[in-house]
Amino acid sequence: MTLPTAGLADRPPTGRPKIAVRHLWKVFGRGADAVVGSETAGLDRDTIRARTGCTVAVRDVSFDVLPGEIFVVMGLSGSGKSTLVRCVTRLIEPTSGQVLLDGADIGAAGPKELRELRRHKLAMVFQHFGLLAHRRVIDNVAYGLEVRGMPRPRRYERAREMIEMVGLAGYEDSRPGQLSGGMQQRVGLARALAVDPEVLLFDEPFSALDPLIRRDMQQEVLRLQRELRKTAVFITHDLSEALRLGDRIAIMRDGELVQAGTAEELVGRPADDYVRDFVRDVARTDVLTAGWLMRPPRPDEPLDGPVAAPGTVVREIVPMLASGGAPVRVVAGERLLGVVGGADVLRVIAEDQADEVGRTGPVPTAGASGPPGAERPVEA
Amino acid sequence: MATAYPGTAPAAAGGPAGRVVGRLAWGLGVLAVLLTGYAALHGRFPFPDVYAALPDRYAWVEPAALFDRAYAWVVANRNTSPLFLYGFNYLSVGLGSAVVLINQALTLLAWPGVVLLGVLAAWRVAGGRVALLVLAAFAVFGLTGLWNEAMTTLALITTSVLIALLVGIPIGIAAGRSERVERLTRPVLDFMQIMPAFAYLMPMLLLFGIGNPAAAVATAVYAVPPAVRITAMAVRDVDAGAVEATTSLGSTPWQLLTKVRLPLARRTILLGVNQTIMLATSMVVIASVIGAGGLGDAVYQALNKVDVGRAFEAGVAIVLMAIALDRVTAAAGSGGAARELPPGPRRWRRAVLGAGTLLALGAAAGRLAGVGWLAGWPDALTVSAAGLVNAANDGVQALVGTWAAGFAAALLAVVLDPLRTLLTDSPWWLVVLAAAAIGHALGGVRTALVGGAAILLTGLLGVWEFGMDTLSQVIVAALVTVSAGFVAGVLAARSDRLAAVLRPLLDAMQTLPPFVYLIPVVALFGIGRVPALAAAVVYALPPVIRLVNDGIRGCSAGAVEAAVSQGSSRWQLLTKVQLPLARSSLLLAVNQGIMMVLAMVVIGALVGAGALGYGVVFGMAQNQLGLGMTSGLAIVCLGLLLDRMTQSAART
Repeated sequence: MTLPTAGLADRPPTGRPKIAVRHLWKVFGRGADAVVGSETAGLDRDTIRARTGCTVAVRDVSFDVLPGEIFVVMGLSGSGKSTLVRCVTRLIEPTSGQVLLDGADIGAAGPKELRELRRHKLAMVFQHFGLLAHRRVIDNVAYGLEVRGMPRPRRYERAREMIEMVGLAGYEDSRPGQLSGGMQQRVGLARALAVDPEVLLFDEPFSALDPLIRRDMQQEVLRLQRELRKTAVFITHDLSEALRLGDRIAIMRDGELVQAGTAEELVGRPADDYVRDFVRDVARTDVLTAGWLMRPPRPDEPLDGPVAAPGTVVREIVPMLASGGAPVRVVAGERLLGVVGGADVLRVIAEDQADEVGRTGPVPTAGASGPPGAERPVEA
Repeated sequence: MATAYPGTAPAAAGGPAGRVVGRLAWGLGVLAVLLTGYAALHGRFPFPDVYAALPDRYAWVEPAALFDRAYAWVVANRNTSPLFLYGFNYLSVGLGSAVVLINQALTLLAWPGVVLLGVLAAWRVAGGRVALLVLAAFAVFGLTGLWNEAMTTLALITTSVLIALLVGIPIGIAAGRSERVERLTRPVLDFMQIMPAFAYLMPMLLLFGIGNPAAAVATAVYAVPPAVRITAMAVRDVDAGAVEATTSLGSTPWQLLTKVRLPLARRTILLGVNQTIMLATSMVVIASVIGAGGLGDAVYQALNKVDVGRAFEAGVAIVLMAIALDRVTAAAGSGGAARELPPGPRRWRRAVLGAGTLLALGAAAGRLAGVGWLAGWPDALTVSAAGLVNAANDGVQALVGTWAAGFAAALLAVVLDPLRTLLTDSPWWLVVLAAAAIGHALGGVRTALVGGAAILLTGLLGVWEFGMDTLSQVIVAALVTVSAGFVAGVLAARSDRLAAVLRPLLDAMQTLPPFVYLIPVVALFGIGRVPALAAAVVYALPPVIRLVNDGIRGCSAGAVEAAVSQGSSRWQLLTKVQLPLARSSLLLAVNQGIMMVLAMVVIGALVGAGALGYGVVFGMAQNQLGLGMTSGLAIVCLGLLLDRMTQSAART
């Protein structure tokens, strides 16, 4: 498995990973232990199931989550992404492999240590909320503190803060059943935040919500993330959600991690046809940036064109180019990083249009994607 | 027999309709063979006395003698054997004292205190209407002069329900949490639930002697299955997401149980508690035959004297107690109602409850200080309806008595006696083979073996004739129940108005302890097999009607609509669409109906139905434990036979 780490290698580490997953396997069924490491393990899912009766849910997955980032794991249903996130907090025991939190192996924790980890460091938000119907909102939010043994006045104080933070002030005494789906998930979010965890795990938290409410909740997560800077692993099957929230995105298929990287890397340089197919509907002009497209200026090029920051997306560059012939200069502060010319932008637009045709016509060739010689842009 | 009627082999028929026809033909074939065998060989092969043929050395294997000897040993060693000294006797004394203690607490509270607390509790839990019902129940206890009996029954119910819950809920939690425990308990519970109430009595008598402790344990054992089953179901069905979420927050297993699983399962568990209480109520009155005092005993004594009026009074008291207990505990289980009821500001509610409690304590204090009218329900405050009821009964007798007697005589002469003679006088091996053959048609080889073995065992227990007598009564009552129930169920399914009328009636009938059904049938038919049969039919009808009705109404509306759109007549719709779709409900109805008929036919021994039930009653009354035990076991055999046959019919 070199693919998933390929994207990571590009990126200079900004510190020790908060969570490191190493060669994680989860195989369901009798005799699952025997599958990992044997010759059978190399076969595809259906063959393994036919031979051993075991189902491979997660296959040799490795990735790092850096402190303070939102790491999105995306895949279709059955791709093993929910199993993967449960392995992190050991709601499902991994068959083999390691999950390291700040370098310490979670798998090695005894029952008591594991409980302490769950009570203080890892908190999860669930697709179907998992609220306690018999408790009031405030008692649901305070649950994690209650099982820690925090006295009632203190945990209520903290729970009230959290309820206010997610915008549910006034609903402390309601029962979950009296709230709408979006409000229930806010309770779930407040419950996870109440224990002040270092890592938040989201398992498709907004999939059960209406599209409009889903967008609200995504904004809410981004806002909280700006305020609190928690490390988060976010599971979703919705590409637009992944693009909106993820600092980096990993794509899973049949239990394997196919590619991990930034949105630009996935869209601009898909690792294989599966990923390409996945991101086909994404408008490159909305995702690719000046920093991604830029190249060193050619000697004959005029350097008096408009100025753009590396994070400017292609859609915003187009009008700049329309006014004159000089390429757009990409600058960070005073320093010139490179230029983006009309031809570069046109190629991106052409790829988008080729995909539109591709839906009825032939799939564009692999060579069409990714700018020639594009390097990972240096962070500004 | 398969060689005699090869053409009727069920395998030859295809499709569900063909299968029914095949089975019917097979059944008729079996009947024909039985009749032929009877005609040719009747009386020549009574069930042999196998034990007489044994050499003396092995004579002890005879079941009745075995139980008699066991009983003799128990009697001789009750005060010396450690098993009794430190085991059952302690338990017996403890249970006896529990009953006495609760009874004394009720006495200490004095009747105004009990009424006050009972009504207030009902008001708090279930609201004003149920409180009125409870008040009416207490009024009837007092006015009929059955106050003390009612309190004894209440104490017995409380004790046995506490035992049942203490044992049942932990087992239920374990079964809900662990597949293995579940697999271990399920067959035991299945078996317990097909055992007719009467079969529980003898072993308790052996271990605890006659009296309240034996009654409390028998009642507790009888009432424990729903506590286990429903608790297990409730714990298993707790929202897995909530358990996962709270696990992810670091709950310990104990915290998961007490903070998540049990609170979320609470309502369903309370439903189980309600069921347990209802079963205990019905059993505690039956347990009067092993010396439980109280209302059941009052009915039992009155029935012995054919004093319909007195039995009626006690019966009404039992019915009211059952309905009141049901409504109060059902409301406690429905939860939501408890929070909204009773109306009025909280402070006001508290004040009423506080004042009531104080008054009750005052009554207790007055009772201790020796205030005369608190010592017991004052005699001046009783009205006996017995005379009135007896007069009314005489009137009814004068009006329809001859008709009823004629009907009973005709039923005996035309149906019951011939069937009994057919079963008892046919060669015994032919009857065993017939049972096996029917079992084979219904469920294959295993059912055939179970059926044959069960009926053979009845003979080996030494109660062949009693067993065949009971079987003949069950067959007739079951036929009547199932056909009447199906007709009524289909009609109810077709008419919303009829269903609306029937529902509360069936609800009420299903809450009644089986014992009280004996009272009206005795009033109508006197003593004998026919009243027992009538009671069995009335007792077993409600669940059959309900299941048939629900089954037909539960049919997919789409399928019915499609059939109508293709021009089906109502009859075609019923026979080709609704009944086949409702098949599992209908078969369950047959199973339930037959099992309830068996339970009631046996209890019918108390009104002269004889047979196996009589063996149990006589055994208990005359200290003939051998007869009682073998009859009880034979009842279990018949229960197993009937249950397996109807169950496997539902499976295939």
